[in-house]
Amino acid sequence: MRTYILRRLLALVPTLFIASVIVFVTVRLIPGDVIDLMLSQNDLTASSRTREQLIAALGLDKPMWEQYLHWISRIVFHGDMGTSLWRGTPVTQQLLERVPVTFELGAIALLVGLAIALPIGVYSAIRQDTTGDYVARSFSIVLLAIPSFWLGTMVMVFPSIWWGWSPSVEYVPFTESPAKNLHQLIVPGVVLGAALSAITMRMTRTMMLEVLRQDYIRTAWAKGLNERLVIVRHALRNALIPVITLVGLQVPLLIGGAVIIEQIFVIPGMGLLMLEAVQQRDYPVVTGVFLMVGVVVLMVNLVVDLTYGLLDPKVRMR
Amino acid sequence: MAVADPPIGAVAAPARRPRGFWSRLFRDKPLGAFGAVVLLFFLACGVLADVIAPYGFNDISPLDRIQPPSLEHWFGTDNLGRDVLSRCLYGAQLSVIIGLSAAFLATLISTLIGIVSGYFGGRIDLLVQRFVDAWMIFPELVVLIVVVSVLGPGMPQIIGILGLGLGIAGSRIVRSAVISVREHMYVHAAQSIGAPSPRILWRHVFPNVLPPIIVLLTTRVGTAILAESGLSFLGLGVPPPAPTWGSMLTGSGRTYMFDGPWLALAPGLCLTVVVYSTNVFGDALRDLLDPRMRGSR
Amino acid sequence: MKKPTTPLRRAIALATLMTLAGAAAAQAPAKAPAAAPASAKPAAAAPAAGPAEKPQYGGSLSIGANFYTLSALSFDAADWTWKFNNDVGLVYEHLFVGDLDKSVRKGGKYAFRSDAFIAYDSLRGELAEKWRLLENPWRAEITLRKGVMFPARPGVMAARELTAEDVVYTYERLAKSPRKIAGYYDYVDKVEAKDKYTVLFTFKNYNAEWDYRFGWGYYGGIQPKEVVAAGAADWKHANGTGPYTLENYVQGSSITFRKNPNYWDSEKIGGQSYKIPFADTITYRTVKDESTMLTALRTGKIDILETVRWSAVPELKKNAPALQFSRALSTLNPIVFLRVDTKPFDDIRVRRALNMAINRAEIVKAYWGGNAEVLAYPMTPDWPGYYEPLSAMPDSVKETFTYDPVKAKKLLAEAGFPNGFSFKTQVSTASSNDADLLAMVAAYLAKVGVKMEIQTMEYTAYLSAMGTKTHAPGYMLWLGGSNPTVSLRKSFVTGQYWNPSMYKDPEFDKKIAEMYAEPDERVRQVKVKLMTREILEKAPFIALPTPYGYAAWWPWVKNYGGETRVGAERPGPIHARVWVDQEMKKKMGF
Repeated sequence: MRTYILRRLLALVPTLFIASVIVFVTVRLIPGDVIDLMLSQNDLTASSRTREQLIAALGLDKPMWEQYLHWISRIVFHGDMGTSLWRGTPVTQQLLERVPVTFELGAIALLVGLAIALPIGVYSAIRQDTTGDYVARSFSIVLLAIPSFWLGTMVMVFPSIWWGWSPSVEYVPFTESPAKNLHQLIVPGVVLGAALSAITMRMTRTMMLEVLRQDYIRTAWAKGLNERLVIVRHALRNALIPVITLVGLQVPLLIGGAVIIEQIFVIPGMGLLMLEAVQQRDYPVVTGVFLMVGVVVLMVNLVVDLTYGLLDPKVRMR
Repeated sequence: MAVADPPIGAVAAPARRPRGFWSRLFRDKPLGAFGAVVLLFFLACGVLADVIAPYGFNDISPLDRIQPPSLEHWFGTDNLGRDVLSRCLYGAQLSVIIGLSAAFLATLISTLIGIVSGYFGGRIDLLVQRFVDAWMIFPELVVLIVVVSVLGPGMPQIIGILGLGLGIAGSRIVRSAVISVREHMYVHAAQSIGAPSPRILWRHVFPNVLPPIIVLLTTRVGTAILAESGLSFLGLGVPPPAPTWGSMLTGSGRTYMFDGPWLALAPGLCLTVVVYSTNVFGDALRDLLDPRMRGSR
Repeated sequence: MKKPTTPLRRAIALATLMTLAGAAAAQAPAKAPAAAPASAKPAAAAPAAGPAEKPQYGGSLSIGANFYTLSALSFDAADWTWKFNNDVGLVYEHLFVGDLDKSVRKGGKYAFRSDAFIAYDSLRGELAEKWRLLENPWRAEITLRKGVMFPARPGVMAARELTAEDVVYTYERLAKSPRKIAGYYDYVDKVEAKDKYTVLFTFKNYNAEWDYRFGWGYYGGIQPKEVVAAGAADWKHANGTGPYTLENYVQGSSITFRKNPNYWDSEKIGGQSYKIPFADTITYRTVKDESTMLTALRTGKIDILETVRWSAVPELKKNAPALQFSRALSTLNPIVFLRVDTKPFDDIRVRRALNMAINRAEIVKAYWGGNAEVLAYPMTPDWPGYYEPLSAMPDSVKETFTYDPVKAKKLLAEAGFPNGFSFKTQVSTASSNDADLLAMVAAYLAKVGVKMEIQTMEYTAYLSAMGTKTHAPGYMLWLGGSNPTVSLRKSFVTGQYWNPSMYKDPEFDKKIAEMYAEPDERVRQVKVKLMTREILEKAPFIALPTPYGYAAWWPWVKNYGGETRVGAERPGPIHARVWVDQEMKKKMGF
């Protein structure tokens, strides 16, 4: 088991390295310098003298490979991801402010997604091809088919008109006030989770169907075992193994892809940070966020793989 | 075409695909059949949009702005007086183009990567999987913004990047299907009599991997259409005046949702119904074509 | 396969229900929702404001300021960001500020909605108690107020009095900054502290913008050296003489300010003088999505919203009838600039023809619902003394604003384009408004045979195209005028950044220089008017009607009338004079 873990960890390093180089380079290739953006914010002309002053002040006059080495060595040896070009504050600080927000939203969405998907998936499998199956599956797929920004907008706007109520637009950390924190994050968490639930529901259903047809299940029926016992103890446990993998695959979606939800519900998460930073060409922030996201995703994948290995001994042999 | 032994207890595998498939679809999977019919309808609308649309998609008539549905304008008009029905029809055309192109591209990429990686195994597999891993941790948004910034917003870029992203992600499914086929006896048999790899790939591996590929293709269409609508919301979609459902919903749909709910309802319903149908049809396909796929990741 | 028995079904159903119920409970509204939708709206309209009421202290204000979709750009004045006053104008003060006693609400003639125009006769001293201009050489002598204190900020500084040294320090830091605008302070010879409370600016020559550039403009917020020493970029170190201190900053969400109990200024209400500020806390909310911001306003989570699109107003009036509104021209004007250094726009006939092909009245009526002005650029009606309406303009200008496609076609034919031509126009993805507006313009141009190809670009790339002067012959820009002198200079002087029409006229440049050197405002106004006429005649752009926007606020917000700026993008002092009627707010159910 230990070698398995070690091997997986070592595999992360080259992946991260390649990815970091690619993002570092490509972001700087986008036309439209941060310089132009900064200059445009000012009132008067941009003479060449000012351009040079600005470039030097931001440290952008060195060749790209030098910038990259400088950046990567600072991270590896000092844990310092540089300073934002716009704000002059450390990137690490900005990231650390956003990570708990994204994490919390993702956790709520994941839980909600599972809470919707598992019961529907199991139910659909047990009642395969009945009207109940169709209705339940349709409900889940319709949630997937509605564009998330539309679902989010409707959830935000219509309660305010019908009942004069809307979710809070102020972010309060969970540690400060759980009630206020949830007042903002529950609704977007549910919206995000509902949209993602269809994928998990589908997998749960197919896995349950597969497992329910197995010989050992038939034996259990034949033995006259309590139905609930059969389902929970035998079928569900085996069916859920690939579902765990699916959960792991959804994490990148939750981190970077929740941008739309973050935008509508005013959630200061990593998705919005990334979007803003790219729009402003704030290179250190973009590369910092990317690295952080990559590390988190790879860690989650590792945990998922390990859990999978724990649950299914066959996998460990590979 | 060789068919592998179905697992015990599975629904009887189809004898031969062309015959009996459609009747099985309508008989056993009515929901999927419904999805198929809807998709065909939208496909027809998209293809025939130029012919059946009563107005152009950019016929501006400012004095007719935000008219509710009427006999002249079945879906009403938008804030510039353009006919919403026509725009939806042209939107169907765009969705067909974007959806099908991106899905085809994605499936092609998934197939290539999956087959190469899964069949040859060993170091090639390891290398390719490293690359796939690295790609999968890219926030797709960054890649999209980069591409859109370098090449400007536009349809080819969006199709390209959606195809690439979905393709690489889907390669895992094809790869595991290939791996499971690879282990079967008849492949070993073919290899032991010295059949060349391309022949094995074409005659044995590919046909058995075809079902998951078909299912992927179908569901990817819906995913691509949905993804474009999300991009429109962030301002990265196909630029106006192109009447994609996504940009109609994001733009005039949300801004004028109180003055003209039909501005949002029309494209929103189109989007939802089409994506729903692709999913439901894809599910039915999967159930019918390849019960084995139920077990693959 | 036999069907599952009821206990299992019940278990699954129960689990699902409990999860969803838990989620629903957590999001239940704090106050009990009204029975029927109709009665959820506040029952009575606001009570009529009789004689000035006695202001209450306390409570909090939640404000959606102008540009509420953008987070704070920087907390360091030396970064030369335009948004500095908009973000921390409650904390850092300037030498001068607009006098709200001269506002329309109080019987004066200024609306205080313009982004960077404060008429000289509407200025009052903020940190300056009095000032005077001296000649030979040109000098500005500023006498500061006495007893203005910087509050104590743990880890940054102890409480101390503002002195002339602080002003000198701020100026020198700005002038030395690598991000400085080139040439901005070239007219200044030196700045010295004559004594503890007197600052003397010695100019090399007179500059008409002297009070703007360091007095009440974008860049003159006085930041003490202790803040810089601790690190001005970090919001935790922010500390100024203003009515509020910076309490908290959540990027992408909000900035929160807390009352400075030792603030020096007071406000006269109903003949009596009250120390300000009134509200205990003020929060500026950052919300990227317009629907969300309007929802927050509707549900009372926002007390003041400084920009409300005209099309959103009818629905708000219906669902939140107690809201008060105030209308004002947008400070941004939609202009399609035409590159005069390319064919065929080097021919004035072609440019004028394109202008005549646009049916502006129809755009006002159909696109903006009647809420727009045809002529508001380069001078806007909000600048009295500098603005001339269309009726006062000479015929040559009136002609370009009169819809006449027949004449347009004739002019085009004269210029050698009887069958029209095609040209590319660049626009950014930033606003969906642009695309629709341009589509209308393209439709009008098509009627006279001119084809406009619209190229949509991502915002930064679009801006860079202009910055590097590689932009298309047509370039659509929402341009803020700022103030009369800046408006003409920044877009029509040779080589300026915001000059996408590449207008190049050495005679005009000379006139601009003369305008700056003219100390008599009335003479300057005449010069400005003449130059405006000249530009409009030459038509290096297609000016589209400028829309009106609204400010909205709830009736418990008192001593406020929709004013939004008393400095360059600076609403702070306005907000500091607002008080919250907390009882009214509670009675209305918020």
